[in-house]
Amino acid sequence: MSSFFSMRRVTREFGGLKAVTDFSLSIEKGELIGLIGPNGAGKTTVFNMITGRIRPTTGDIIWKGKNITRLQPHLITHGGIARTFQNIKLFDDMNVLENVMVSFHSSMRSSFLSAMIGLPRHRREENRIREQSIAHLEEAGLAPLSSEKAQNLPYGIQRKLEITRALATEPELLLLDEPAAGMNPMEKIELAAFLARVRQSHGISILLIEHDMRFVMGICERIKVMDYGLSIAEGTPEEIRNHPDVIRAYLGGSGDTPD
Amino acid sequence: MSAKSKLILNIALLSALFGLLYLFNRYGSGYQIRILNNIAIFITLAVSYNLVNGVCGLLHLGPNGFIAIGAYTSALLSMTPAEKELNFILTYLIWPLSVIHVPFFVSLLAAGAVAALFAFFISFPVLRVRGDYLAIVTFGFGEVVRVLCNAGQSVTNGPLGLKGLYPYTNLWWSWGVAVLAVIVIQRLINSNYGLAMKAIREDETAAMAMGVDASRRLMLAFMVSAFFSGVAGGLLAHLITTISPGVFTFVLTFNLLIMIVVGGLGSSTGAIIGAVLFTWGGEALRVVEQPMDIGIFTIPGIPGMRMVIFSFVLMLVILFARNGIMGRQELSWDLLVSKFTRFTRTGTPL
Amino acid sequence: MEATILLQQLVNGVSLGSLYALIAIGYTMVYGILRLINFAHGDLLMVSAYAAIYGIALFSLPWYLSFPFAIMATGAIGILLDRAAYRPLRQAPRISLLISAIGASFLMENLALVIVGGVAKPFPRPNFFNHVIRAGDLHIQVLTIYSPLITLVLVLGLLYIVFKTRVGKAMRAASWDFEATRLMGINLDSIIAVTFLLGSSLAAAGGIMWGMKYPQINPFMGVIPGLKAFIAAVLGGIGNIVGAVIGGFLLGLFEILIVALLPNLADFRDAFAFLLLIGILLLRPTGIMGDRPAH
Repeated sequence: MSSFFSMRRVTREFGGLKAVTDFSLSIEKGELIGLIGPNGAGKTTVFNMITGRIRPTTGDIIWKGKNITRLQPHLITHGGIARTFQNIKLFDDMNVLENVMVSFHSSMRSSFLSAMIGLPRHRREENRIREQSIAHLEEAGLAPLSSEKAQNLPYGIQRKLEITRALATEPELLLLDEPAAGMNPMEKIELAAFLARVRQSHGISILLIEHDMRFVMGICERIKVMDYGLSIAEGTPEEIRNHPDVIRAYLGGSGDTPD
Repeated sequence: MSAKSKLILNIALLSALFGLLYLFNRYGSGYQIRILNNIAIFITLAVSYNLVNGVCGLLHLGPNGFIAIGAYTSALLSMTPAEKELNFILTYLIWPLSVIHVPFFVSLLAAGAVAALFAFFISFPVLRVRGDYLAIVTFGFGEVVRVLCNAGQSVTNGPLGLKGLYPYTNLWWSWGVAVLAVIVIQRLINSNYGLAMKAIREDETAAMAMGVDASRRLMLAFMVSAFFSGVAGGLLAHLITTISPGVFTFVLTFNLLIMIVVGGLGSSTGAIIGAVLFTWGGEALRVVEQPMDIGIFTIPGIPGMRMVIFSFVLMLVILFARNGIMGRQELSWDLLVSKFTRFTRTGTPL
Repeated sequence: MEATILLQQLVNGVSLGSLYALIAIGYTMVYGILRLINFAHGDLLMVSAYAAIYGIALFSLPWYLSFPFAIMATGAIGILLDRAAYRPLRQAPRISLLISAIGASFLMENLALVIVGGVAKPFPRPNFFNHVIRAGDLHIQVLTIYSPLITLVLVLGLLYIVFKTRVGKAMRAASWDFEATRLMGINLDSIIAVTFLLGSSLAAAGGIMWGMKYPQINPFMGVIPGLKAFIAAVLGGIGNIVGAVIGGFLLGLFEILIVALLPNLADFRDAFAFLLLIGILLLRPTGIMGDRPAH
């Protein structure tokens, strides 16, 4: 089990129904791992447990030596794990820049009093946050859209903004829930390049859920496959592509087939 | 527009405001001064109420509780021991309240502080829930405060209330506090703290995923709002000079709700507009409840008609113009300039 | 405490609780389908009480006609309330619905104030309800016995409708999954109207019995009972009809017994209900019967 990130025999039950059973996963620093499986396999539930949105019924989640199983979501983010959501959850009424600036909130050191009084110290911090946010937007190519309202953006840009927002929390592990969903092939290529750039410049590890097999096989170093809440296979893209259990899971049940 | 120009404009605006207040103070009638005091107090109340309901998106139905706490705190501290003796005829006021006597200013600060302290303690149960349940729990808080004021004879003098408070509140105090409240709360809203609150309003789950400690941020908003509600309560007490539990019922909360909804939930400017409209309008509508003499006829007053009109207006707004007058927008110099340039260019500001 | 006094208070508690139960049902049914706390529901008590009085005073109806008339009229007003204040906001954010409910409540109360005036009116107590039963040291108003019995009959009738008829099945479906029910071709607006009709009628019955029990009625008489009935609904598990009934009876008993056992704290009677509410929301938000978490 990795000392960087590991999930150990995690189970989540919802009133008798086991959404995730005995799930284990470890991630080393710098890896890009894919989590795939038919619809309803429990992938997003795994994400929700890692990020503290729901609690595992049994099992542990260890992050950099600490047991984060029962930690609240914002503390997990402070600890260096960030995420995006399957159904985009941007702050609709706020503009692009503001969406990113929220991620810097926990880094604020000046108190609310200094904000209310208007101390120069606070103003300096606000400027710092603004500059850092703009830097992140520039890296993602979203800077020209800074004053656009998030809800007015085209779908692909919204997904990109969500990723940028998560990156602004300076994570060491980034969880992406179907980042390429709804994108056209051109956008997917751009996304893959963006993720590669980000990995290199920020040195982060990525765990991503995706349904587009070509995308997953293309960028992931290792892939874990889930079905009905269980882990049914794990390995390199090559190994997974030809794995009989994986093929059976996709052809036998719901969901798409691996191409 | 540069920050410097804005600063100059703001100073000019404030100077004009205080100049106007000076004129009213000197030459205005008692009636006019009372209305102006009321408007200022409700501006403070509305803007601080909007912080919780509009900016954070919580349906807080208990501000009447914090206003009551502030009013009683301020009154009990500012009254002289002699005045207290005159009031507490059924039971004795407990020590040390019976002997304490502080300047008005201190009593206002204490009013805010005590209200904020209550907000701190109440936020633990309140912030465990959201939506309708938060509404009911905060409503319950307001009711419990009122009942305690009624029953706690040895502290609040029960249903008799406190009479004969010295009318410390004048235009300078009420408008001074209002201006301060607006500036300070607006600064908070415009800061990253306000951004975090708005993020919680938009999507609390996503906000927490981005590292925002939602409970702590909401508690902050709750306490700041309670502080100013408490101070305003103190101002109100020393304006109407008689307070009793019946002053701080849910009707007070309902009036505040109308103000911020009609003004625009989420906009401080809207809250100010709402406060002015309804305080002024409420006074104007008072005629409907008094008998009117028209020539030889006397139209009898209709008690309750004011509230019918207010409720009706609230229903109209919520059903047909949910965003109110300002929506979530604030009035700013930049906005005015852009409207003006558009007007001169196209003949319409819209 | 003496056995007879205790028994007397228990009977009082059950009787009061039966009224809370009738009103609580309306809250819980509307919440179950619309996820809305109908703040204006408590005021329907008041509407039915006044309708009953006007039925007798204006139309010279005998009480056994005026009372049903009042119940039907109030049921109709319940449907109107939904049509006017809630239906237009089906797609709106929740906070708008809550504000609309509060506004509707205030509007009804003050409209009543304008129409009937602020002076409390006496409510008729027909002779049928006016006997006093004596058993040893016990003096019990016959109304006190009738209330729970009438409540039980009405509740059984409601449960029959909800569990044994097609309309009831549609109502239950709607409370589980609003969208899916709509997709099955069921006219949701009609189902919601029926829900309001049933809930309002029960509240109306409660209002009439309340009027007989506390014969001074005024436009704001529904406020406190309405709130307590809501607390009862939460106590029993909001969204659950049987829970609302249980919650109602429990709250009635709790209220009477607290006042009986701690007479010094009688002034805090109303505050106790709120403290109870805060307690439930903290310790067991789903209530006694509920499986629906309180958010």
